[in-house]
Amino acid sequence: MITRQLIEQIEGEASVNFDMQEDRVAFATIAFPHFRGIESILKGKSALDALVITPRVCGICGHAHLMATVRAIEDAYKNAGHPIQLTKKVEVIREFTLVMEMIQNHFKWIYLSIIPELSKLLDSKELQTPLKGAYASSIASKSIATFAGQWPHSSYMIPGGITADPTNIDVLKVESYIDELIDFFEKESLGISLEKFLSFQSCKDFEGLKSDISFIESALIEAGMNIKGHSYDRFLVAGKHNFSKPSKLKQTRSFSIDNTQIGTSNAYSPQEKTYAYNAHYKGDFYETGPLSRSMAMGLPIVKNMHRRFKDSAYSRVMARVFELAYLLRHARDILKDIDISESSFTKPLDITKLSASGLGVVEAPRGPLLHSIEIEDGFIKEYKIITPTQFNIGSSTIENPTPAQKAMIGTTQKEALFIFRTFDVCSVCTTH
Amino acid sequence: MHSKQDKPHLLWFQGVTCNGNTHSFLNLTNLEHLLNKFEILHHPALASLKSFDTITQCQENCDIFIFEGTYDPLLKRNDIEVSKIVQHYAKSAKYIIGLGSCASFGGMFKASAPQRNSGLIFNEDVKEGPLEKYSNKVINISGCPIHPEWLEYVLLMIASHKEILVDELHRPRELYSNLAHHGCTRNEYFEWKVDADNFGEKEGCLYYTQGCRAPMTHASCNKILWNEVSSKTRVGTPCFGCTEPDFPRKNLFSTKTNMSIPVDVPLGVSKRSYLTLAGIAKTFHIKRLEGKLIDYKTTN
Amino acid sequence: MARITKEERKNGIISAALKLFSEKGFYITTIPDIAEKVGMSVGNFYNYFTSKDVLAKELVMYISEYLGKSIREINEKEISTDKKIYEIVSMYFDMANEKPEMIEYFLRVYLSNREVFGDGCEGMLCVSPFVTEMMLFFNDGVECGELHDQDFFSAFGLFMGYLGGMVFLFGEKILPEPLEWYKESISQNIYNALKTR
Repeated sequence: MITRQLIEQIEGEASVNFDMQEDRVAFATIAFPHFRGIESILKGKSALDALVITPRVCGICGHAHLMATVRAIEDAYKNAGHPIQLTKKVEVIREFTLVMEMIQNHFKWIYLSIIPELSKLLDSKELQTPLKGAYASSIASKSIATFAGQWPHSSYMIPGGITADPTNIDVLKVESYIDELIDFFEKESLGISLEKFLSFQSCKDFEGLKSDISFIESALIEAGMNIKGHSYDRFLVAGKHNFSKPSKLKQTRSFSIDNTQIGTSNAYSPQEKTYAYNAHYKGDFYETGPLSRSMAMGLPIVKNMHRRFKDSAYSRVMARVFELAYLLRHARDILKDIDISESSFTKPLDITKLSASGLGVVEAPRGPLLHSIEIEDGFIKEYKIITPTQFNIGSSTIENPTPAQKAMIGTTQKEALFIFRTFDVCSVCTTH
Repeated sequence: MHSKQDKPHLLWFQGVTCNGNTHSFLNLTNLEHLLNKFEILHHPALASLKSFDTITQCQENCDIFIFEGTYDPLLKRNDIEVSKIVQHYAKSAKYIIGLGSCASFGGMFKASAPQRNSGLIFNEDVKEGPLEKYSNKVINISGCPIHPEWLEYVLLMIASHKEILVDELHRPRELYSNLAHHGCTRNEYFEWKVDADNFGEKEGCLYYTQGCRAPMTHASCNKILWNEVSSKTRVGTPCFGCTEPDFPRKNLFSTKTNMSIPVDVPLGVSKRSYLTLAGIAKTFHIKRLEGKLIDYKTTN
Repeated sequence: MARITKEERKNGIISAALKLFSEKGFYITTIPDIAEKVGMSVGNFYNYFTSKDVLAKELVMYISEYLGKSIREINEKEISTDKKIYEIVSMYFDMANEKPEMIEYFLRVYLSNREVFGDGCEGMLCVSPFVTEMMLFFNDGVECGELHDQDFFSAFGLFMGYLGGMVFLFGEKILPEPLEWYKESISQNIYNALKTR
């Protein structure tokens, strides 16, 4: 018997069609019903216009799209024999704003999505403070805006560097925003200092802690999420940054990857039309996002969690919480060595003289984001976008399910709907 | 203490959107304070009184109907025609807010289906749209995305029963009578026609070569700063004119010229006046404005 | 006899000055020469122009405004760009014929004695009214699709350099035919060089 569940508040909507056997999920297919045709909109436009158009794929991760676009164009310059040299200052600022967007995403996910959903799952009357997520996000956005002018929808990254020319005033202000944000996180979410939290070795370290984060941890155990939501135990990281290591992992064994082996296939959704595709690496499905990144970087606490609970829903959620802490420290650290006197921008060859293809890969909050561009005389001939939710939440057949589908098999419908959300779904990105 | 009946009922509904306005709104300082003045029937990210299912089945009414996103007459949400949903809530609402440039004029996603997509009462700059008959209660807060304080202004004006003066495009005059140009930190370079040669520099005006639309765009961006700290032009990014009906334009990072003469000159200024003034200003070479504001590599 | 206005007096001085500079040369002509020609005392002259240099700069502005006004009238007509080019050329050549002292002043005094005009007439400052109208002419030509887009100075140099050169040759009495004979061919050449491909 197929029952359809509408899921909203996932940056858009999706529907999951459950094939129930008694009260357990035998299988589920997923449909994303909305489509905007951004790849067609981009065709024929000037390549630089993509810097304004692609952030509008998504309101919560638009900055990642901006970076993917600029990397794709810069890759095209390189392939045409005109490689672009970026100063260290530009690399640091670009990575900083990207990381801050991830931080605001994770805060919102914790407070607007996971805590309320966990409470619903356990029929708990736990006091909810969703606006903590909005507040933290506003501080994170302030630090982005200091360099990028605004958040959401900045276009301050351009081929050759950034438009901004910040002074030490801007850097110092941003450092104080980070301090404020870390203070807030420690006081309001963690109940413990950031450093102590990042030095946790195992889940036992949560004992005695009373905070929003400890609530999440214990609620996940109570709901049995440490023994549910398992997927392939296969992880993929593709974007190259100082906080991520491109690789694929089968359990804990790490292998190198070739980004050109990433592709998409049609989704399987017999019940209703979907506009999403399934992303794969060499034909296989891999999970992406914070758990994957943490495993690839070998974060001790996440590795320990994984040793006990594999790629359960518990690991997936807690990995995102740990990544939030890890990224806050990373954001604070990378600004320390910034040399403000370095140049912000080196003018590349006039874009109308560029005819080449390029690939831009970025780690967005939910995993790898790929933009491939084909430029002819400075105009876009072809543009293709692959988003992380296409890796995690594709819809395939029962013989070869995608990570989210596999994770939902054998659970109750209520549990499955929670497990679905642990992948942090972005509906608008998936279908663009 | 207001009772439930006193607070206006607010419904935030989406058409074809990227959610940018929702996320911009979440950045508002004192968000909680503002939200407490309303009963939120439904919101795409915040806790809501009613479920999405209930809302889409038109089982409710609201005082303030906020619509985010481009209007597509064929769009369905929860498998129900958005056209029906929008007409239902628009009829009984006291205020209809077109939130963002997509809802105001069609915006970025008009291009998803150009023949049929539009804003609520404007199709780009032509007055036509699904809620045309309710025009007198429509307020357009254009922008891509909106600044959270712009929506806060409209909601507070409504909550305190104050009349909102609007322009011909139904945008609140108090917010949109300024140009994005007012308050730009590069204004001295605009005055003396010292153009920016490149990106990535504090110096130079972005209007002449880099495509800055600020002198032609109605917006408060350099007056009510973004995220309370900055704006596009303050970080050297040209204004893309996102509050205007023709957003997005083409070739956004460059200024269109006819024989080196800018096609668009500041709003309300005749080309003759602009060229006369520009010609004179360009004649003078002000040394201070031609050098760097800060030279980090001073010798001796 | 009706009272002559200050404005008319001033224009009288301008006229006289231009004629004298044309006949005798800029450096040789003195203020007393000009004052005598107009029929006023030297003292009174200084009420209108405080020095010869000030007069020199005002003359440039005067000619500029005159040219600018004429070009504006042509540009505002609802005729095609090639016809506008003909009318501008025609106006310029007619001026060379009927008021040779004006064009001559421009070519032989203004352009050739930069040391006089350096301070107060920097760059295009004093010719702004004329240059602005040419900018608007080019702008309109490109906007209506009749002229191809290019750098302003490339087009301006072609147009004005050409006209100036022809008038210079005319002044040197090198041209075998009268100036109006060349209107047609020169307009054609300018249009062919600037029109859309």
